[in-house]
Amino acid sequence: MFDDGTPIYRQIADQIKAEILNGSLEPGGKVMSTNQYASFFQINPATAQKAFRELVDEGVLYKQRGVGMFVAEDARDRLAGEFRARFFDDVLKPLVHEARQAGISLSDIIDYLKTQEGALK
Amino acid sequence: MPKAHTLATRRHKLGTALLTESVKYFAGWILAVIVLAVAVPLIVSQWRSIDISAWYVAANIGKYLVAIIAGGYVYTLLPILVAQGMTRREIATSMGIFALLWSAFIGALAIAGFLGEHALYGALDWRQAPQQGEEFDLVIGSFAHALEFAAIYPLAYLLYCTAGMLIGAAIYRSDGGWLVLLPVVPITLAVDDALSRADAWGPAWLVRFVSGVVEGWGVWSAVAAAVVVIAIGAWATRHLILNSPIRAKQA
Amino acid sequence: MSFSVSLRDVTLKYGDTEALSDVTLTLEAGKIHGLLGRNGAGKTTLLSLLAAFRKPTAGEVLVDGRPVWENVDVVSRVALIREGGDFDDTDTVESTIETGELRPSFDLDYALKLAERFEVPLDKKVNQLSRGKRSMLAAICGLAARAELTMFDEVHLGMDAPTRDAFYKELLAEYMDRPHTVILSTHLIDEVANYLEEVVIVDKGRVLRHDDVEAFQSMGATFTGPADAVDALAAGLEVLAEQRLGGTKSVTVASRLDAARRERAAAAGVEIGPVGLQDLFIHLTNPDRTGA
Repeated sequence: MFDDGTPIYRQIADQIKAEILNGSLEPGGKVMSTNQYASFFQINPATAQKAFRELVDEGVLYKQRGVGMFVAEDARDRLAGEFRARFFDDVLKPLVHEARQAGISLSDIIDYLKTQEGALK
Repeated sequence: MPKAHTLATRRHKLGTALLTESVKYFAGWILAVIVLAVAVPLIVSQWRSIDISAWYVAANIGKYLVAIIAGGYVYTLLPILVAQGMTRREIATSMGIFALLWSAFIGALAIAGFLGEHALYGALDWRQAPQQGEEFDLVIGSFAHALEFAAIYPLAYLLYCTAGMLIGAAIYRSDGGWLVLLPVVPITLAVDDALSRADAWGPAWLVRFVSGVVEGWGVWSAVAAAVVVIAIGAWATRHLILNSPIRAKQA
Repeated sequence: MSFSVSLRDVTLKYGDTEALSDVTLTLEAGKIHGLLGRNGAGKTTLLSLLAAFRKPTAGEVLVDGRPVWENVDVVSRVALIREGGDFDDTDTVESTIETGELRPSFDLDYALKLAERFEVPLDKKVNQLSRGKRSMLAAICGLAARAELTMFDEVHLGMDAPTRDAFYKELLAEYMDRPHTVILSTHLIDEVANYLEEVVIVDKGRVLRHDDVEAFQSMGATFTGPADAVDALAAGLEVLAEQRLGGTKSVTVASRLDAARRERAAAAGVEIGPVGLQDLFIHLTNPDRTGA
């Protein structure tokens, strides 16, 4: 589960962001408590708290005292915007590099993307 | 084990709990001894006349058993009780309370036994005496005499109990702890010898030596000596417990 | 009311050997701390001092800011669970559990429930239990003690993996339910890494390193890929280990990786992997490395 090079709290934060982006977590929706997170993933609750704190600082989540943690209303839009901004650096650049390693030409990629254009609509 | 409502009383509750659990645990053994003390002379009387008090044998063996049990408790319970979050001062107090109660209990049993035996032996016209031989004043001739003879036993048991705990604590404290036997055994036998009318039980050469030392001591001097020795023994035991590190577990 | 832990200039000598030398260490209350060290490093000695099992030769041992030795208010709320437990072998499991009632905070119902859940039979004698069940009994006594400072010293030995999992799970649940201070001393570092908040590494009687677990985990990384690319990336960094298989090389370095280096790695086709806490521990306590 958690075996990337990045610290666990970062992975949790990234995962929550991904869930917001793909719609499994709705804006305004309630997030699992840190203890529930800790219990589910069998991690120290402080790690979950750290992730949540980051997300609150970034404005992705907000806390309602005594009630719980919620997804900010504008979280999805904001994250999507950030993702779009970094899409080319974070996704396409490594993709191009990997393709090169595998010996796939750019024109092959472009052809493939063209076939996908229909699917995206 | 007692429910520890407050830290203030748990050491007392532990002392008394040790007594009740010991009574329960050894009840079978005690019963067996009582039965034997009656059965054995009954059986032996088929072949020869009975001129020794069987209960005397039992009561004296009891001295050593009391010592061994007490020493065993200290040796095994010290690490367990420290692991359960008790201070060594509390543990020493609990052991002290147990020693007093246990000696009183077994001592009361001894007294009751001698009285009961006097009734039995009287009925069967047997000679209730601690030793064979014709020493006149060692024959128990009446209930009053039996009581007087047996009255010393609770104190004797407390003496042996203390000795046992001291040895147990010393052995736990250090590998060289066995050396404590060197002073403890002769002193215990000497005081016991002084307390009892008959000789103390132990290695013959040692008993002869200590008997010589306490020759002519009256009962009250002996009691005073016993009290002093018990007090010193208790202090030494407590000192050992208070300074005992808990041993590492063998890998 | 969790207990903090503080050792100041603590030394413990057994005869001529120094098991702990001049140790100064403070552990914050309410956290789960990992205590790691090789055999004989001094972990068990350290824990023994915290539980007032022994007195130090020099220095102060404070728990909850108070000296722990013979302090009934403190020791009654400190539990040290040693491997195999501190039991009377001739006692039954039930009787052993009931001994815990000496503690003011002991929860008998919880203990009995755990005994049932982990299948430790109440009527069996302790010396009839398998090693794993015995360790579980020790763990149960530790959990049910509901102490403010609970220390588990290699209590998992003898437990199989599913049993250990169940123990960690229960420990975490207890901890979240009732925040207190926990110290886990273990060899199975990677298993417990996710449960820890802080890590202390003890080596040859001294504290080698004490930090947040994240600091440890980001202390290094492993580069795996074409040999020259890996060498280029690792140039100038402290190398902890190297492995080569044909044209592929794997190098473990003790450095935080910044974004720039990560990008270079991706560009060069070099995979970046984590350094597990266990691997880091092995490297940090390697005698060749520490020069003794």
